[in-house]
Amino acid sequence: MKECLRRHRDLVQSLAVLGLIFSLAAVCSPRDWRTGGPLFLQADNLTNLLRVTTPVAMVALGMTLVILTGGIDLSVGSTLGLAAVVAALALAKWRWGGAAAIATAITVGGLVGLLNGALVALLRVPPFIITLASMIGIRGLARSWCNNENIGLRTAGDAAVRFVDTWSQKPFMIGLFAGLALLVAALLRGTVFGRYVRALGDNPTAAVYAGLPIKRVQLAVYGLTGLLAGLAGVLTAARTNTGNPNDGIAAELDVIAVVVMGGTALTGGRGGIAGTVIGALIVGILANILGLRNVDANSQLMLKAGIIVLAVVLQQRRAAR
Amino acid sequence: MTAPTAPSPPPLLRARNLLKQYDGVRALRGVDIEIRAGEVHALLGENGAGKSTLGKILAGAVPATAGTLEVDGREIRVRHPGDAQRQGIAMIFQELDLFPNLTVAENIALRNPALAEGFRVRRDRLHAFCRPFLERVGLPVDSATRLGDLHLGHQQLVAIARALSRSARLIVFDEATSALTEELVANLFRVIRDLRAAGVACIYVSHKMDEIFRICDRITVLRDGGFVATVDAAATNPDELVRLMIGHEVNTGQRARSHATETAVLEVANLTTTLVRDVSFKLHRGEVLGLAGLVGSGRGEIGRALFGLAPVLGGRLHKGGREVRPRTPRAAMAAGFGLVPRDRRREGLMMGMRVRDNANLAIMGRLSVAGVLRPGREAAAADRMATATRLKAGSPHTAVRTLSGGNQQKTLLGRWLQREPDVLFLDDPTRGVDVGAKEDIYQLIAEQAARGAGIMLVSSELPELLRCCDRILVLNQGRVAGLVDARTATAESLLRQATASGAPGEGSL
Ligand SMILES: Nc1ncnc2c1ncn2[C@@H]1O[C@H](COP(=O)(O)OP(=O)(O)OP(=O)(O)O)[C@@H](O)[C@H]1O
Ligand SMILES: [Mg+2]
Repeated sequence: MKECLRRHRDLVQSLAVLGLIFSLAAVCSPRDWRTGGPLFLQADNLTNLLRVTTPVAMVALGMTLVILTGGIDLSVGSTLGLAAVVAALALAKWRWGGAAAIATAITVGGLVGLLNGALVALLRVPPFIITLASMIGIRGLARSWCNNENIGLRTAGDAAVRFVDTWSQKPFMIGLFAGLALLVAALLRGTVFGRYVRALGDNPTAAVYAGLPIKRVQLAVYGLTGLLAGLAGVLTAARTNTGNPNDGIAAELDVIAVVVMGGTALTGGRGGIAGTVIGALIVGILANILGLRNVDANSQLMLKAGIIVLAVVLQQRRAAR
Repeated sequence: MTAPTAPSPPPLLRARNLLKQYDGVRALRGVDIEIRAGEVHALLGENGAGKSTLGKILAGAVPATAGTLEVDGREIRVRHPGDAQRQGIAMIFQELDLFPNLTVAENIALRNPALAEGFRVRRDRLHAFCRPFLERVGLPVDSATRLGDLHLGHQQLVAIARALSRSARLIVFDEATSALTEELVANLFRVIRDLRAAGVACIYVSHKMDEIFRICDRITVLRDGGFVATVDAAATNPDELVRLMIGHEVNTGQRARSHATETAVLEVANLTTTLVRDVSFKLHRGEVLGLAGLVGSGRGEIGRALFGLAPVLGGRLHKGGREVRPRTPRAAMAAGFGLVPRDRRREGLMMGMRVRDNANLAIMGRLSVAGVLRPGREAAAADRMATATRLKAGSPHTAVRTLSGGNQQKTLLGRWLQREPDVLFLDDPTRGVDVGAKEDIYQLIAEQAARGAGIMLVSSELPELLRCCDRILVLNQGRVAGLVDARTATAESLLRQATASGAPGEGSL
């Protein structure tokens, strides 16, 4: 038991922080004028919180793997926007069925990811640069495909309406995220691929000497992240009833913040999915309580900045031990 | 009134009751040690006995959990490396703490106040400052070379030069010669004797008995983190020390039975890379072929070329009769090659990962079904490896980072032994391994040979080659200088061939 606690100390710590923030949020929350209970704790609010957090959290699952390999993917926000546009175009303009539209949008995301992965693996240019370039380029692509216009879905026919109704439901979104989180966690923990991901980030030189399939691992992590960004784009389109080419601007930073808050080291090798889920919840709760208290958007950003720095400082303390 | 005989001056350094508790491990349990000015004091003990931990505490790299340190009879506090530096304590770490992307000179002069002017580094003075120290340790490279481009042995010399440049009164050498050849060690010993004459004290951590008896005045033995004894070198012998270290005797010096056959498993013809030229030899099934030569002679390069890590410019490789030309380690592994690299920290281990995952990294395919790992198989494989190598680790789940140097080496070796390749290239596999564990590793090498593998063994210790190998290929400046039968060769003859300049010794087989 003690051994187990020690092994998972990082996680226990993150959980403690999560508990603390949750309690603080409950205490600080404005009260319901009828019952007097905190608004924050109402089921409707909590599920709403989860739903709003879902897209970023989902991409963070893939980003965790990318960062574990010692890489980074700055293009996820643009990919999210592109997928949202593709889904909306397919439904509203091309009048495709829901399944085809969704599958296409997710596939496009996956292709962007594979492209990133291929460039990282083959060109040996730092992932930061590669994905910075694709962040810029993909955003341009998204805007040009829809001529810089938002594509409404509510008035775009049956398939589109049905799509919006299903894919914006809270239980659906939350269930989807939970399922994916479990899947990616199992992938990381229980498969050869997962071991290679960590090994590559822990010591890239030794990974070469040990004959690991480095290129394939890189293709896979960036590809998976692209798929998840595509899925997040579809969810965003459903939740907002539109395909907006500016969806997901700066989302990559939120995603990275979530991963880092979850204790995954940007230097690679250390961290995991459980931490990322906790990180997403922390970020979600913060955004929610600040919203409930009517803190204005700009102050929210400044607070968020402080919290990220704090989280990383705590994490470095851990690493130094 | 006659003056009373002057009380003997306090020792340079006295440690009392040092205790170090890591997470789950007690690395030191109350150690006392006394270092006198101008002595070379050996620290001896099995892998994991706590030698490095003791050194690190003196150098301020880790804090002691309890205990006191005195310098010149005054109690001091050493909380970080800066404190130790002010007290004149320098250390050459077993796992070197150099910066691979800086030059040799920058590594040596880093944080040396003599070279700073405000925030400005006097680059003009940098090289002039470093040159004398590089000359003293006998490092034959330009001080503007990037550190990462040097061999491990030469990197060790840089670390030593840095310690010298800090004009320390006490220098801790933690296995600082583990990757040095005989010649460089002899040179280093000259430097240490000069230091001793100048009143500088040295703590000398090593597993090499002959070195200890050549250079040390007194010897302190540790076992399982506890103090066993401090003895005068003149009044003891290797057998007694081994007994103190381990508690029983170790049978050393026996040649393993040869398993060499007549079938060639690997034929190398005219192999040429940027570092070696026209190297040709045959490796037989069950044979242990030694590779001898100085640092830079191309010993390790042959392994890197076979393993797809160094571009092959010319020549042919035939393995089991078929021509092969691996371009990546992955392809080489598929073709049946294995390589235990020399620099375990940079090229070998994933320091943050568990012992188990490190040991199993090269056989993941066998431990999984359709890419999904079977925890039972993982645990069984890791246990088998730990038993075979007599690995000392808290549990298979501890991070490799927290293992002692020798046990890290065993983990890396275990990774490749488990894979059972047809051709196994071992680049200094006993570096930093204790006397008893060395015997274990020789045994493991013999077992691999018995199973029919062809083994190539690089070692900076000639006796090790003479003992384990069937034949020894001597390299000199990237060319084959001779191929000798290990049963008849002597250390002197090998050394002569390895250092002879001019034309390679034709016909000196
Ligand atoms: N950072 C750490 N965390 C936990 N345990 C550690 C850490 N560093 C060392 N240890 C443990 O402390 C013990 C002593 O280690 P130390 O490195 O001092 O051994 P050593 O005598 O230098 O051995 P070697 O000859 O193999 O270098 C070992 O059991 C090791 O596993
Ligand atoms: Mg040590």
